[in-house]
Amino acid sequence: MTAILRVECLTRYFAGLAALKEVSFEVEQGLICGLIGPNGAGKTTLLSIVAGSLRPTSGAVIFEGRSLGGAKSFAAARAGVVRTHQVPRPFSALSVLENVEVGSRFGSARAADGSLTPRRILEWVGLAGLADAAAGTLSVGNQKRLELARALAARPRLLLCDEVCSGLTGAETASVLALLREIQRSGTTILYVEHNLRAIMSVCDHVVVMNHGRKLAEGPPQEVQANPEVIEAYIGKKAGKKAARQAAPGRDG
Amino acid sequence: MTALAEGTEGSEGTEDAPRPQRSRFLAAAPPLLLVAGLAALPLTGLGPNSIRLAFVTFVWITASVAWNLLGGFGGQVSFGFAVFYGLGAYAAAVAINAAVNPLAAFLLAGGVAALASLAIGLPTFRLKGPYFAIATIGVSEAVRVVMTNLSPTGGASGYRIVEPGAFRQLHHFYTALALAVVAVAVSIAVRRSKLGLALVAVREDEDAAGDLGVNPFRTKLLAHALAAALTGAAGGVHARYAAYIHPQGEFAFGIGVGILLMPIIGGLGTIWGPVIGGVVYGLIHDEVVASFPQLHLLIYGSLLILIVLFEPAGILGLVNRVAALARRRLRAREPRRMEPR
Amino acid sequence: MSVGMTIVYGVMKIVNLAHAGFLMLGAYFVYELYNRFAIDPLLGVLLAFPAFFIVGMGIHRVLIRRLPTSDQPTLASLMLLFGLWLVLQNLGYLVWGNADRSILTPRTLSVMNIGPITFPTVRLVVCGTAVASLAILEIVLRKTWFGRAVRALMQNRDAGRIAGVNVERTAQVAFGVGIAFAGAAGGLLAMLYSFSPDFGGSFLLRAFVIIVLGGLESFAGVAAGALILALAETFSILALPASYQPAIAFSLLVLALLVLPDGIAGLWIKRRRLA
Repeated sequence: MTAILRVECLTRYFAGLAALKEVSFEVEQGLICGLIGPNGAGKTTLLSIVAGSLRPTSGAVIFEGRSLGGAKSFAAARAGVVRTHQVPRPFSALSVLENVEVGSRFGSARAADGSLTPRRILEWVGLAGLADAAAGTLSVGNQKRLELARALAARPRLLLCDEVCSGLTGAETASVLALLREIQRSGTTILYVEHNLRAIMSVCDHVVVMNHGRKLAEGPPQEVQANPEVIEAYIGKKAGKKAARQAAPGRDG
Repeated sequence: MTALAEGTEGSEGTEDAPRPQRSRFLAAAPPLLLVAGLAALPLTGLGPNSIRLAFVTFVWITASVAWNLLGGFGGQVSFGFAVFYGLGAYAAAVAINAAVNPLAAFLLAGGVAALASLAIGLPTFRLKGPYFAIATIGVSEAVRVVMTNLSPTGGASGYRIVEPGAFRQLHHFYTALALAVVAVAVSIAVRRSKLGLALVAVREDEDAAGDLGVNPFRTKLLAHALAAALTGAAGGVHARYAAYIHPQGEFAFGIGVGILLMPIIGGLGTIWGPVIGGVVYGLIHDEVVASFPQLHLLIYGSLLILIVLFEPAGILGLVNRVAALARRRLRAREPRRMEPR
Repeated sequence: MSVGMTIVYGVMKIVNLAHAGFLMLGAYFVYELYNRFAIDPLLGVLLAFPAFFIVGMGIHRVLIRRLPTSDQPTLASLMLLFGLWLVLQNLGYLVWGNADRSILTPRTLSVMNIGPITFPTVRLVVCGTAVASLAILEIVLRKTWFGRAVRALMQNRDAGRIAGVNVERTAQVAFGVGIAFAGAAGGLLAMLYSFSPDFGGSFLLRAFVIIVLGGLESFAGVAAGALILALAETFSILALPASYQPAIAFSLLVLALLVLPDGIAGLWIKRRRLA
């Protein structure tokens, strides 16, 4: 299987504080890869570095075999790596349609597939009725959809989703997850940072767990979920020990 | 500040999708009529003083519309457009004195200004909003100082343009009018183009724009160059009329301030706002300076404060607000004729 | 010795620390102070602090508070303050005319000898006062609750609010402090130079250059930036005709911007931080 993204020994310091410490992992093409971890684990930092919004202190980001090497975010987007933002950042003075047009008229250098016009994307995402509304007037849920629509319009080969489900109701979350699966089916790889564990487990093929800036574990969702260290990171030492005991019965009674 | 939406003349809210051809014709009609009217102005027997006033106003409109490309669409506030105005003036002056065809001289003026904009933009666009603005103040002053000391162009004593033939005021009038029309046309074209979309995106959220593939640096440089070229041409056109230019006049900080004030007064970020601002400024500026020589800074400063606090969208914004209010009042008064109860 | 001047520039730079965008006001306010206290320059400078503090708070209350707020300095605040600067300049012209004025006291012409070097007294006094004020400000910013609140707000208003900072009050006080320093700085500068209502502009630019050179974060940065600027200006006289002087600050700025890597100070197009 080909790895569309390889993150090698990524390290990032913020004035003496290590947000990321030598994190390495791969994302296979065509999969939805989840990135989870408790608050402060460094997930968004990592996402920002891959997207080009932030430069690593050291380490490499290799996309489709070529190093992105601290490129600025627009260069990353041109290469096919596009992100959404955790807190939506719509272009308020533009209409919803125009917002998506920014993505489609710029975005990756890949030739546009004629069928995926801005309007089609809005339909896909469920915002067709609001195409002419000013983006600044949208509800939070719709702004998150707009983030997705805009990023999609930029024709990403790797879509970086930053907590697209945070702040959404159960029903909204379900529909966004369904959307993500459709995006994956259409050939785009997704790296998905999320806090909502249930969402991650239901939609991801592979999960990477981070804690305190380091990679803690990775693997299929079920495996990761049962990992004692992961449980300890999220809940606490006791639960972790309990899980370890359950995993190896008869070890210490 | 202001939405990118086209000035709402002509479209009445909720109607069926209009046929594109007809609505475009309708939208184009008023501006064309306006231009025709202005072109016919001298025929109405206006005195040379009024013609001069109109000429100056056209020059200001050009500069105002130009500044708005970068400052209104792009949100990058530059206080340093006097540099382009002045450089354009000097470039055209030198060229005309060298017997270059005036039209070519104006093109040269625009070109020189555009090059200067690149030299200035490369370092300064790395700065964020207000810091960029302050840096442009520095540019303006530095260039003024240099030009004041530059002897080949006369230094502080100024530079004279000598042209064979009589002074034909109407000639200048139509040149300035044509330039203003070109400026507005460029403005409309930019706003509809990919560059226009990029500029607004950068203005609204530079980082998010970058995340989508827009190159903010290049976008700004491009808009800066266009704006500078138009402003430089305006400076050249004016210089030829005045036939005498000097650094204290061409590169004065007041010119940079005036150029920036016009779009703000009229409606930042729109097509016609800067035009309105240019008209207002062009017509009253001389009056203000003449009648209240002590107070013009006060007046403009207060105007700026009032606009920022109460009507950031300028005159156009005020007009839109009043129109919307009027429309609402009218609709409230109409008896309901729609659904039967 | 231009060292004194450099520190004074530094004071003006700190003016910006509390809330970006009102740097423009500073130099101008200075002017008002000078004439009123022409009798007593040093005392005048000391009195400037509280006087301008009050004025600053007042301006904040009446004008600034109405602006839409954000973490980054906005265009609206830029325009507002610029407009204010124009108004003040004009008021200056109205009240004092545009003739150059200066403050002459016995101190102005006297010299002091420190070791083998002779210093004009006034420069030593100015330098000393500036350093002292900077030091005090630095202490306030680092050690007091208020100082930390200001620094927090500079980064993220909402986070500060959540942490318990009274945003409006702190912003108002910070603004007041900024104006106070601007006024005092102007006073110090007036002891060195003659002045007229458009006094502010060149110092604004210089302060700005110092910020670019030295960064917003530290006292050492200020001093370093100021020193570089002062040295450049002093030595440029040897190479260029004096009339080119005002352009020096700007050329230095351009040079710095072209050469320094980005990411140095809060001024640069910032890379996005953690959400």
